Amino acid sequence: MSKPSFFPFVAVVGQEDVKEALLIALTNPQAGGVLVVGEKGTAKSSLVRALAQVIPNKKIIDLPLNATEDMVFGHIDLEHAVLRGEKMFSPGILGRVHEQVLYVDEINLLRQEIVASILNTADRGVNAVEREGISYQHEAKFTLIGTMNPEEGSLTSSVLDRFGMFASVSQEMDCEARIEIMRRVLAYEQNPELFCQQYQGATDELISSLQAARKLLGVITVSNAMIELTAQYCTKANVAGHRAEIFLIEAAKAIAALAGRDYLLPADMERAAFFILPHRMRKEESQPLEPEEQEENQTDDQIDEQNDDQNNDQDNDNNENQPPDNLPSDSSPDSQDENDSERDESEEQSQEQPEPNHNNDQEAISEIDTAYSNAKMAVTLPKDRQVRQSSGKRSLTRTNLHQGRYVRSCIPKGKLTDLAFDATLRAAAPYQRLREKGNCCMSIKQEDLRQKVREKRIGNTFLFVVDASGSMGARERMRAVKGAIFSMLQDAYQKRDQVGLIAFRRQTAEVLLPVTRSVDLAQKCLQQLPTGGKTPLAEGLATAFSVLTTMGKKERQMQPIIVLITDGRTNRSDDAIGDALKMAEKIQLSGCSSVVIDTETDFIKLGIARSVAQKMGATYYHLQELTGQKILHVVQNMQ
Amino acid sequence: MRRGVYPFTAIVGQEDMKLALILNVINPSLGGVLIKGEKGTAKSTAVRALADLLPAMEGVKKCSFRCDPKDIHHMCEACLQKNKGEVLASQSVKMKVVELPVSATEDRVVGTLDIEHAIKCGEKKFEPGILAQANRNILYVDEINLLDDHVVDVLLDAAAMGVNTVEREGVSYSHPARFILVGTMNPEEGDIRPQLLDRFALSVTVTGEHQPEQRVEVIKRRLTYEQDSDAFSSQYQQEQEELGKAIMQARQLLPKVTIADELLILVANMAIKLEVDGHRADITVIKAALTLAAFDGRNCARADDIKAAAKLALPHRMRRRPFEEGVLNWETVEALFQEQ
Repeated sequence: MSKPSFFPFVAVVGQEDVKEALLIALTNPQAGGVLVVGEKGTAKSSLVRALAQVIPNKKIIDLPLNATEDMVFGHIDLEHAVLRGEKMFSPGILGRVHEQVLYVDEINLLRQEIVASILNTADRGVNAVEREGISYQHEAKFTLIGTMNPEEGSLTSSVLDRFGMFASVSQEMDCEARIEIMRRVLAYEQNPELFCQQYQGATDELISSLQAARKLLGVITVSNAMIELTAQYCTKANVAGHRAEIFLIEAAKAIAALAGRDYLLPADMERAAFFILPHRMRKEESQPLEPEEQEENQTDDQIDEQNDDQNNDQDNDNNENQPPDNLPSDSSPDSQDENDSERDESEEQSQEQPEPNHNNDQEAISEIDTAYSNAKMAVTLPKDRQVRQSSGKRSLTRTNLHQGRYVRSCIPKGKLTDLAFDATLRAAAPYQRLREKGNCCMSIKQEDLRQKVREKRIGNTFLFVVDASGSMGARERMRAVKGAIFSMLQDAYQKRDQVGLIAFRRQTAEVLLPVTRSVDLAQKCLQQLPTGGKTPLAEGLATAFSVLTTMGKKERQMQPIIVLITDGRTNRSDDAIGDALKMAEKIQLSGCSSVVIDTETDFIKLGIARSVAQKMGATYYHLQELTGQKILHVVQNMQ
Repeated sequence: MRRGVYPFTAIVGQEDMKLALILNVINPSLGGVLIKGEKGTAKSTAVRALADLLPAMEGVKKCSFRCDPKDIHHMCEACLQKNKGEVLASQSVKMKVVELPVSATEDRVVGTLDIEHAIKCGEKKFEPGILAQANRNILYVDEINLLDDHVVDVLLDAAAMGVNTVEREGVSYSHPARFILVGTMNPEEGDIRPQLLDRFALSVTVTGEHQPEQRVEVIKRRLTYEQDSDAFSSQYQQEQEELGKAIMQARQLLPKVTIADELLILVANMAIKLEVDGHRADITVIKAALTLAAFDGRNCARADDIKAAAKLALPHRMRRRPFEEGVLNWETVEALFQEQ
């Protein structure tokens, strides 16, 4: 494949933070890789691919999403085994990346195990292969660059921690810049060669400054004062482990080297912290501060933080606790301006007093990367970890159907259903010299056969059972309910869950939306949900029950979850309550998980919803205590 | 025997869809079209008819990717190697519609190990998949919203880069995969991931014709076609040729089409006002406008080209708000044009 001429790195408009992070990583591989996060269409991939031009002696090696495990880590050399009957190691992608750059586009869509193993390899600098009868080790020191769109899901915090730097891209909101982008893209597409030539000068400059920086890197000494500063940063940021310190020093060295200095300034450290610390901050929440430390830092912000710590994962920062409705609009142009001023402030402060100010730092970080993407990361992070701990059902599941992504092979247990040809051939290869082969070059015996292991994303099924009676009709209440459901739907989209919607009012319960993967449709349905009439709670539950039973027959892999939202005011006879309770018990016996969200706000509380919840074995929450954040948490805790 | 294809020009109505498809063949770098609509609205017919309309193009002989012998930037490795020593023999190939069925497995999509070759010769060889076939062709995905998630992932990868990189089942290979992506979906059957949605340059919504006369016309033409497809096709022969010629002329004109700075400003303002995600929207609107101008035989894009382009390029890029449909507020766009 010929090398297509990529859009020149220097011609990308704006995105200075990302550019700097990438250059730091290239100057000093010790600073860890870079994770580039941003919405679609913000030149993430273009920037990374363009790097190829500024590092003429290195290659950027792609790790495609379709990669199977054997190709990533290496496998037995098929041809060699057939010809010589010897086992020889054939390197995979990791075998090619030594001293190069490994690029994973959409890293959040890659299987977590592969991501973890790759990061592990990057950490150790050695790829140790123990598979297919081969034991082999080779050096693999490389710079890892990953890009992701947070809309599509998140990475676990342990994976995040392995990335040295974090940079987020946002789209330009400035009219002039947008026009410049259009101009350059059009010019590039019309004549790529000419366009690249125009920027050749700037590219060459960058190449030589990178080379100079790399040379300079060797002579930079780190004074004790600087090391102390690093430690201060990291303690203040409450980072787990010591990776951050190392990354911080190395990144600061690269920044100094890029600036043409052979000594470090506190400002270098500050800038490095901007890339190194943001994705590690979260870690602190699960580890309570030492009591003495709490007493030491009694500033207002710090108190906030303590609260967070005490509440562990359950609570996130107040500023992230926004209702979901605000999320998309957050990346407004003025947040950019705020960022700049914020950053200036923190810079000024650091000049006045060399001691880094953690609070300010954190603020700056949550803002600079545009609240949108950063807030999203924060929202999803603890969540993913939780899911994994509980059942892992919501991410990936092994599937024995002939569907899903082929990830690796295994020796079949019982009848072979899905032959993994490549693995079978490799298993048979070493014995070919000894076997009778007829007209073929390969002879395959029963014991060589390998089965494909496939994986497929399996989501849960959320069945929302919503009370749409007149008592819910008070406008504000329904708005809150809709808001709450919406935040769950957003989560459902990322996890590829199925959702269904049942509303009960007047005499009956109605399946407004049969269980579907279209979260969009659920959203529309919800929007049009009318209210009025009585509360046939029992009917609502019965309908939910029957929907789930038929579903269960069709797809066993689905884990149904009922989310009942009601004020429990089943304003009919006592019988109605009794019926509802009976139904609730039936649901519990069926082994279905459920959540009850009580919306009763009247002065005299009847507490029917609570007793229904007890009967269903459901987690009970009151709407008022639920912000968007907490609801997500409810969803995970159930299992 | 090759079955005749229903002529493109004989399709009644569906002007938006036809225009979007034509724009994509004039300018393959535009980035595809998503057709939303009910069943039986001539979606597949139009896509197949489109390929038939185009004159043959040059392709390297015996190359499984039909590389363009003149375009060394997008050549497969084999052709590139050959190109150094000799002049590449070429043959004329017709643009095809390559279908990606919803049930396709990942190995067939990206390509995989050639089992037969491995067993017979004990060597690894890459067996090209659908993405290889799709190079320089139209990749047609019917019901794209029902496609398996992991197939969508690889599709995104290839569509973004124009290159398909394969690292699976013992083979490591990469080849050009530049195609016009045409997807259809019925919105009632589930949505499509925003990430994939954004990769489509244009989107159109098709509905069945509601005028009784139009419906009658549809039936009449279909019946005549089924009775004697050759006779029917020859009726449209001239129109077909004219359209084919117009497309080829537009292709030649396209690199020369210019756009005024005011219009760029207009587009940037539009994107900011409408709060679209990322920069693909602006770029696509401009590219579509340039293509529209070329199709019209002009070498300068005008405001009404921008307007028409926005209608095709923006609706599916509107940022979704909670409890709001991601609809394009056309009044905002109109207002911007008024200011001009």
